Amino acid sequence: MEKARRNKLAIFIFMLPAVLLFSLIIILPIFMSSYYSLLNWDGMTKGTFVGLKNYMELFTSKSVNFPRAVSNAILLAALSTFIQLPIALFLALVLARGVKWEKTFVSIYFIPVLMSTTVIGQLWLKIYNPDYGLVNVLLRSIGLEHLQRVWLGDKKTALIAVFIPLLWQYIGYHMLLMYAGIKSMSPELREAAKIDGATEAGIDWYITIPLLKPVIRTCVIFAVTGSLKAFDLIYILTNGGPAHASEVPSTLLVSMIIGRNRYGFGSAIAVSIIFLCFFFAIVIRKLFKTEEVV
Amino acid sequence: MNRIQEKGGIGRKLITGFLIIWALIQLFPLYWMFTFSLKDNSEIFGENIIGLPRKWLWGNYTAALTTGKVGLYFLNSILVTGCTIVLTTIIALMATYALTRLVWKGRKVVNNIFMLGLTVPVHASILPILIILRNLKMTNSYQALIIPYSAFALSMALLIANSFIEGIPKELEEAAFIDGCGVYGIFARIILPLMAPALATIAIFIYLQAWNELMFAVIFISDSKYRTLSVGIQTLSGTYTTDWGPIGAALVIATIPTLIIYSLMSVKIQESLVIGAVKG
Amino acid sequence: MRKTLKRVFALILSLVVAFALIGCGGQNTASSDDGNATTQPEPSQSGSPSQEEIKLTLWSISTESDAFHNAYTQAIKDYEEKHPGIKIVHETFENESYKTKIKSAVAANELPDLFYTWGGGFSKSFVESGKVLPIDKYYTEEYQAQLSRAALGNATYGGVLYGATYTTPISLLFYNKAMFDKYGLKAPTSFDELVHVCRTFLDNGIKPFGVSVKDTWVLAMTHDALTLKSAGPEKTAKAITRNGVSYNDPDFLASATKLKELIDMGAYIDGATGLSNDEACANFYNGTVPMYITGSWMAGSIMTDAENPADFDVTPIPVINSNNAKITDFMGGAADTIMVSASTKYPDVAGNAVFELTRSISKYAYLDGAGIPAWEVDYDDSSVNPITAKIAKLANEATSFTLWFDTLMEANDAGEYLSLLQQLYVGEITPQEFVEAMAAQLES
Repeated sequence: MEKARRNKLAIFIFMLPAVLLFSLIIILPIFMSSYYSLLNWDGMTKGTFVGLKNYMELFTSKSVNFPRAVSNAILLAALSTFIQLPIALFLALVLARGVKWEKTFVSIYFIPVLMSTTVIGQLWLKIYNPDYGLVNVLLRSIGLEHLQRVWLGDKKTALIAVFIPLLWQYIGYHMLLMYAGIKSMSPELREAAKIDGATEAGIDWYITIPLLKPVIRTCVIFAVTGSLKAFDLIYILTNGGPAHASEVPSTLLVSMIIGRNRYGFGSAIAVSIIFLCFFFAIVIRKLFKTEEVV
Repeated sequence: MNRIQEKGGIGRKLITGFLIIWALIQLFPLYWMFTFSLKDNSEIFGENIIGLPRKWLWGNYTAALTTGKVGLYFLNSILVTGCTIVLTTIIALMATYALTRLVWKGRKVVNNIFMLGLTVPVHASILPILIILRNLKMTNSYQALIIPYSAFALSMALLIANSFIEGIPKELEEAAFIDGCGVYGIFARIILPLMAPALATIAIFIYLQAWNELMFAVIFISDSKYRTLSVGIQTLSGTYTTDWGPIGAALVIATIPTLIIYSLMSVKIQESLVIGAVKG
Repeated sequence: MRKTLKRVFALILSLVVAFALIGCGGQNTASSDDGNATTQPEPSQSGSPSQEEIKLTLWSISTESDAFHNAYTQAIKDYEEKHPGIKIVHETFENESYKTKIKSAVAANELPDLFYTWGGGFSKSFVESGKVLPIDKYYTEEYQAQLSRAALGNATYGGVLYGATYTTPISLLFYNKAMFDKYGLKAPTSFDELVHVCRTFLDNGIKPFGVSVKDTWVLAMTHDALTLKSAGPEKTAKAITRNGVSYNDPDFLASATKLKELIDMGAYIDGATGLSNDEACANFYNGTVPMYITGSWMAGSIMTDAENPADFDVTPIPVINSNNAKITDFMGGAADTIMVSASTKYPDVAGNAVFELTRSISKYAYLDGAGIPAWEVDYDDSSVNPITAKIAKLANEATSFTLWFDTLMEANDAGEYLSLLQQLYVGEITPQEFVEAMAAQLES
């Protein structure tokens, strides 16, 4: 078997399509972007080579304020990991135990993920609308008028108001992954534990969750990299405003590349996002590995 | 399921209650999209945002269906998404097997490099990919979308496949090897069938990425005969003013197949999960 | 086992299909040119088209739900009837993503024969990159008589003409006449009168202005106009195009201060920072707010979206400093432009088509009430809706047009301008700081 596992030709055949596709569409553009990030270039006319100047501006310019965008994104990643994923895990565990209408619930919980971002965006615009939005109407009806806000237009609340729909929409996404993970475990383990008198919660904690670790790892990686790249919904809800309060790296990138024709500078943002995401993805993998050894 | 009823108790009831409330929250967008598709701008913006439409404007659907070539766009979307799913799952499963079960130098590094695919912001890669596609004489064709979509979905598919393949015991492979199976045989007869649950899950996630994708579809396709549905819907909005009702209707039309496919798939997942679990 | 075999077989089959699809698709883009595929923007690829049939591809943002769509369609029909053997393939895209598309197309050399773009700063890089065809030699006397060179200022770069236009939208103060009448108010002609109008409405518990700060271009429409009416057309244009006038100047400070005054007196609808243009306009159409400053295109929307279009009227934006500016100075002008790709195979046909098409679009769009004509009106226009007709009259009597800041400025300056304006609105910076930051940006 060991010899078969070292079959060079098989390795080549299995890897070739993936490597080809990946180098062409992912790796090559990363190299191109890295090169562009060293240019002062509007994306159309001839650019001039400026070395690391774009990166220096990125980290020092007050008007761009890249560090704030990054810290906003990291906050989103943290919320995603510590609030969204536990909720998803809880739902997956409860559903996988076998409750009434289990399949129906699984299907329904996934619906927000299936909906187009345009719909979700428009819906939340209505929820947050300052006059007739659901949040303010609700506050008014229970006599808490003083808590009413222009949720998406107030510098203090815009960021969190944008994050809530993002976190909510993807709960179903992670739930489905975890649910599938739990369901593909062999049921004998749980049965055995049950016979030994373990409670449902105990089984979940000591048996299911440890076995689910590879899937949870994948979810954490998706949640973190997804947060660092989040764009669509933020663009619809606030487009980074007001006055940059809900700016994240991607909104900054788009406004530089597309709005301002600063292709070189935008590419520097892109390279930074790639670096950050990759860094976190590797760290997450490492974290999960060391735990396995222990 | 009997297990649960045996215990009964307030805790159970609380949980069921919570699950039902959560389900209603998750269903709300669907309801909202449907009512939205039957209203006009004055109701959508202010007068009646969550209620049922005062006048049911089925004309929005006529407007959505007769603008552009929605039927063609729909078929294009199905073709592009379908090919992307097939291509990506096959490539991802093959690579996952090589990366996790075959032994070679550098596979860990390669495995990590594949995660780069999760990191690339779409907007920054538009121009490089457009230049690459142009050099391959591939713009304005179905593959101008299928290939980038597959590449962008690949990393995700690999990660999911990775986390599921860990649950397949190596002993099964050993046994098949002793029975005279080669690597290819093991892949086809042991790994693929056991990965079926993962396969359905992966397919759903690839579907999600490809079906709603907008930027690549706008930039890489200029000829409207290859246009996809998401771009078609987008062209329903005008430059300075937009009639939102028909957009709502178009979005309902675009979401229905998603819901159908998903409910079919989720039945499939459930089935294959049972098969997988029994075999595992 | 049989079941698994079946599955494997299905998988392999689909693999083969998938690869076959890519394999053959890859090389046959060119050979599949059996019909309309000759319109591919890739000129070297489309083989040799037959002598009679010339196909020009035109990209625009006049999607089927856009007000200009009918005008484009009619214009193309007229053109094709007049020139048998020439076919124009019209591909339309949504406004926002089109900006990305057209820039990428310039960069990757994928421009179609004819394309819609915005004059001024937006297309400057297109021209500088050499991908746009100069069309001076197709601008014949016939056309010159009907479309003045002045109207083409935004399509002229370094004295060379690169495009033609069909509409001259201008910024105006739209107001609800019924609400004005109720409180005995008249359309304001000076800033003081405007303040008086605002006060009266505020005293009666009505927010005077609708605006969107989230879609910052809407707020910019107001600020652009106030600036023009404070500093005058020449000074304004010079300052924002880096032409020897500093932005740090009392006249520019005055307009920023006036805007701030309106904001501070509560003249703008609550929550403007969180509202999109669509949402904010809805408040104007349904009579919640009596005033809205925006482009002439709102005239068409009032006809379709307002319950009682007869309640609405339009007026020029009041003057702030009558030493510098007149009531007949307008923000706006011909930004909507059609250009020709330098790589088109039929430069002569396309160069002429630009003028014929824009002339027809100008006419049909005006008759539809979609836009203010840029070309001479030599046809019966009595059927045009009253608001559009009034705007056309105002535009006709205009003493100057200054293109909107965010179109006239270079892209990077425009982005910074909108960002600063948002900060001014929310009170993060003072008018003084705003003017200083603008000056710094324009001198960098």
